[in-house]
Amino acid sequence: MKKKLVSLIDSPGFLSAMSSISAIVLGLLFGFLILLISNPGQAVQGLGIILQGGFSGGAKGIGQVLYLATPIIMTGLAVGFAFKTGLFNIGTPGQFIVGAYVAIYIGVKWTFLGGVQWIVALLGATVAGGLWALIPGILKAYLNVHEVIASIMMNYIGMYTVNMLIKRTVYNSLKNQSMNVAATAEIPRFGMDKVFVNVKGNLMDTSTVNGGFFIAIAAAVVIYILLNKTKFGYELKACGANRFASRYAGINEKRTIVLSMVISGMLAGLGGGLLYLSGANGRHISVIDVLAEEGFNGISVALLGLNNPIGIVFSALFIAYITLGGNYLQRLAFMPEVINIIIAVIIYFAALSLVVRQVIMYLRRRREQRAAVKAAASEGGAQE
Amino acid sequence: MEDYVVEMLHITKEFPGIRANDDITLQLRRGEIHALLGENGAGKSTLMSVLFGLYQPDSGEIKKDGETVRIDDPNDANALGIGMVHQHFKLVHNFTVLQNIVLGVESTRHGLLKMDQARKRVLALSEQYGLRVEPDALISDITVGMQQRVEILKMLYRDNDILIFDEPTAVLTPQEIDMLMEIMRGLAKEGKSILFITHKLNEIMAVADRCTVLQRGRCIGTVDVKDTTREELSRMMVGRPVELELKKNEAHPGETALEVRGLSMWNRNRRKKLLDNINFHVRKGEIVCLAGIDGNGQSELIYALAGLRPIDEGTILLSGQDITRASVRKRNDSGLAHIPEDRHKDGLVLDYTLEENLVLKRYHTPAFQKHGFLDFRAIRENAERLIDAYDVRSGQGAATTVRSMSGGNQQKAIIAREVDTGSEVLLAVQPTRGLDVGAIENIQRELLNLRDQGRAILLVSLELEEVMSLPDRILVIYEGQIVAELDPKTVTSQELGLYMAGSKREEVVG
Amino acid sequence: MKKFVTLLLAALMVLSVVACGGAKEPETYEIAMVTDIGTIDDKSFNQGTWEGIVAYCEEKNITHKYYKPAEGTTDACLAAIELAVENGAKVVVTPGFLFEETIFKAQDMYPEVTFIFIDGEPHSGDYTEYRIEDNVLSIYFAEEQVGFMCGYFAVKGGHTNLGFMGGMAVPAVVRFGYGYVQGAEAAAKELGIEEINMNYYYTGNFDATPEAQAKAAAWYEGGTTIIFGCGGAVGNSVMAAAEADEGRYVIGVDGDQSGESETVVTSAMKGLGAAVEYALEKYYAGEFPGGQIMTRDAADNGVRMPVESTKLDNFTEEAYNALYAKLADGSIVVKADDAGDSPEVFASEIIKIVYEK
Repeated sequence: MKKKLVSLIDSPGFLSAMSSISAIVLGLLFGFLILLISNPGQAVQGLGIILQGGFSGGAKGIGQVLYLATPIIMTGLAVGFAFKTGLFNIGTPGQFIVGAYVAIYIGVKWTFLGGVQWIVALLGATVAGGLWALIPGILKAYLNVHEVIASIMMNYIGMYTVNMLIKRTVYNSLKNQSMNVAATAEIPRFGMDKVFVNVKGNLMDTSTVNGGFFIAIAAAVVIYILLNKTKFGYELKACGANRFASRYAGINEKRTIVLSMVISGMLAGLGGGLLYLSGANGRHISVIDVLAEEGFNGISVALLGLNNPIGIVFSALFIAYITLGGNYLQRLAFMPEVINIIIAVIIYFAALSLVVRQVIMYLRRRREQRAAVKAAASEGGAQE
Repeated sequence: MEDYVVEMLHITKEFPGIRANDDITLQLRRGEIHALLGENGAGKSTLMSVLFGLYQPDSGEIKKDGETVRIDDPNDANALGIGMVHQHFKLVHNFTVLQNIVLGVESTRHGLLKMDQARKRVLALSEQYGLRVEPDALISDITVGMQQRVEILKMLYRDNDILIFDEPTAVLTPQEIDMLMEIMRGLAKEGKSILFITHKLNEIMAVADRCTVLQRGRCIGTVDVKDTTREELSRMMVGRPVELELKKNEAHPGETALEVRGLSMWNRNRRKKLLDNINFHVRKGEIVCLAGIDGNGQSELIYALAGLRPIDEGTILLSGQDITRASVRKRNDSGLAHIPEDRHKDGLVLDYTLEENLVLKRYHTPAFQKHGFLDFRAIRENAERLIDAYDVRSGQGAATTVRSMSGGNQQKAIIAREVDTGSEVLLAVQPTRGLDVGAIENIQRELLNLRDQGRAILLVSLELEEVMSLPDRILVIYEGQIVAELDPKTVTSQELGLYMAGSKREEVVG
Repeated sequence: MKKFVTLLLAALMVLSVVACGGAKEPETYEIAMVTDIGTIDDKSFNQGTWEGIVAYCEEKNITHKYYKPAEGTTDACLAAIELAVENGAKVVVTPGFLFEETIFKAQDMYPEVTFIFIDGEPHSGDYTEYRIEDNVLSIYFAEEQVGFMCGYFAVKGGHTNLGFMGGMAVPAVVRFGYGYVQGAEAAAKELGIEEINMNYYYTGNFDATPEAQAKAAAWYEGGTTIIFGCGGAVGNSVMAAAEADEGRYVIGVDGDQSGESETVVTSAMKGLGAAVEYALEKYYAGEFPGGQIMTRDAADNGVRMPVESTKLDNFTEEAYNALYAKLADGSIVVKADDAGDSPEVFASEIIKIVYEK
């Protein structure tokens, strides 16, 4: 029994989960500190609301958690996938917004597609995101330009290009944002509007969530299988871990780097499509000079999820949950701006799970080594 | 009472998890050459780091001339007259010999260097110890052997009387080794005390007065060299008897398996030929050794053969098939195996498990994947078979992360993988580098086995003993050219050294 | 590490003790405001509205709080309103036309809650249905009137090369601009000036951008002496451009912006706070004019110029009051945003409009 427990504790999965959870606890601790400083009288109550997360908002609240999680699952997968293959794709904001634009463009203009319009729009978003990452991928593989630099540039090019294209093609000038997509381009709800809804009088206050959440989950499963079960995943990870050894093994490492970036970009682009193909009540691209935050949040999600596709789904749900919890914190006498800080602190500490993991591993190794030395010492003593 | 110039008494130094030095006592007499012998990881470097103040010992004391001293950093050691010639020289390449010698201890007048005085002293020291250095030559223009003598002069110039040589012969030709031995004897005669760190038994027998042997952090003992034998020393070092002579059957070479014709490679800016018109062949059932001093084009030639670096001219034939332009994958699949020089960089994905590394060359074959999905059961079975056959030891068997394995077992894993492909041609680059004596023995025996089974082996080695004992033919490479083909049975190591140093050459070999 | 954790926990405990002894916060908030995408201190819409709420509530000792939606979507705004209502809000104030669809839904969802809606009227997402229930009051402002006054006194003050730099071409901004052009023409006619040059441009956002600043600088370079910076932080870009040059001036918007920069000579002010206070007063008096869409104009002090801080030449309080009275009593009628899609409809013999799209 004890042996079983020890082997469970020593398993890498348990270690990963533990480090993520410890990081979250650490984040909450610091969040609580800020709660205390900003409003001591309601800090405990406030922490309660944060922990209650999306549940404060009834069925709609839970739906909103799934809705907020959807795009960051995708960008988290994009970042995590690239990490696994040794690349730091910080270009997710650009790939995300380019994907979003193509989805909206198809969603507004290509009404002739009828019932499959939303599918085509999502495919378009995926392709666009992939193409946007192709450029840094090629630069990295063939010219050794660091992907971080190239993809940061592509972020800005993407944002400004999308702003320009929206104004030229699908502009709602009154609201300075993209137009509503056609009804056939909205991602079907798959019955989620029946579940995640608060009834208000004779009106339904439905959550924004739609079938996009299932698509994101499916993407996570596909990426998990791709990375862990396939020959291609073996090559990708080998390239990430050791480019030279991959070359030595006969893997075309340049092609692998490009493909890895493209797949990562496709995930981010699809994320853009999933978020923006919602109805008039949902998101529109605002023509402002700000990089898509969902892209950057993908980095936190991937770090908290330790780059594991399944871990990423959970960490995205957690971050969405805690974000919404922060929103409900407005019930108390907290300034909304302070709430933003609190939530940011929790998320960023949570993203330190990799560090926590290393600390745990370090402590464990030291403990083992101490024991080994002690054993060796007593053995030596016996000999003398 | 003996006259000890430096004593390290009962030194213990513990790192998390290991006791690198466990109650080690090392006493250096005035005017002696004292060898420090031990395998990798026996604790030699830790002990020297303690002597130079890089680590503080957990217990034990250091005495200089009988007085207890405290050494907090290398400057303290220097002040006590202790100096070291490192394995990798610490010289400024675009400075002259003289400038390098005075670097850090320049004497000045009104802010200007006083080089005349320094030159006189350097020349006097050089004369006194027979070092024969040219004070105004640039470091980049002189041989490795002379660079080493510059390092020695640096110590002498600083009035060090305790000289530590860290694996000094690794980079030298036999002639240079002889000269170094001569210099060391001269230094000792003049009253300098020398500590000579090495794992080469011949050199100890040739030059040392006494020898202290370390094994796994412990001091096995200090012996007088004249009272001991090589076998005894190696037994002390390894902890069990080791066979020092390789038993070799007669070679029966068959048809040509690998042939290289007119191969040339330029460096990146096309100023210099790294490989110049290389021609040779390797037949089935023979081991051909590419001998030479490190950096004469061996690595480039192997990379060219393996397809990791493009060539500019020439043809490579593998069993008669032209693979000059073939991809790495194509070459691997057509029967070229490769034990790379740098196992961590090229040979292994350290973060992959042992079983994953054991299929690194073959994961794409139908045996291990179907429709793009890996067959994990086949991968596991393959790993278990190889682990068993090659005695690869690791913490968690097939699922062990390779990074956590010892160097010897990592090398065994590579050899298992490369040999198991059944390839006709094996490129083995320094397959025994950095390994324990016992492991070296096993690997050399395995290579001879493969030869007897009819494989063609191209061996690259920098170890003179290995070059003389293992192959059936020796090709000497010097500055990118093959300068001689020699028969190990008839050639002497002196003669081999002349070829390696470029001072002698045959006309081109087919 | 252990020490650090211990220290942290100790600090938390001490603070928690302090926390328990802290002041009691109210449990519910009677008056709520939901901000639009901007911040509460945007020196514009959100801030003006909030100041009105604070002024009224502090005087009458009523609890009040503002809420920020999680993102700029209708669903998120509805969620914020839900939060406010759950927190005890009887009145919800929403500034800005971005709430049009939100209020359209909220008015049905929360029939017992009163909504004060600034600068917009509820309609469905696809603009097919406009409907306002009895629990909603929509308040518009006659921006064209104050725009008129600014244009008028700018020309009176000796400016003949004018500029209008709007943010997004939303109705309120359009009205400011149209009034401004008409005011300039009226003053030119009075003074017998033959030509007024008018540069006209919408930046497309409410942000201070390098582009807006470059455009304003180019206008100033080309001889424009005064620019009406009309739309959130766009004015700050214009001020930055004006500061770089001698004799270049700015007209501020929404609130009195003379504190923002020396170059601001006057501002086209909307009585946001006053309007909110008015509506709250009516609500508590039991006379809430629900179901109405009202426009606050000169007649009820809905718009004005800051007489104290105006630094235009020839500007006097008498002249201002006289003009104000004419606007209030209807003897001067200013055309609003229904005049046409482009400011070019106001081009005339006198007014030369260069409209850059």
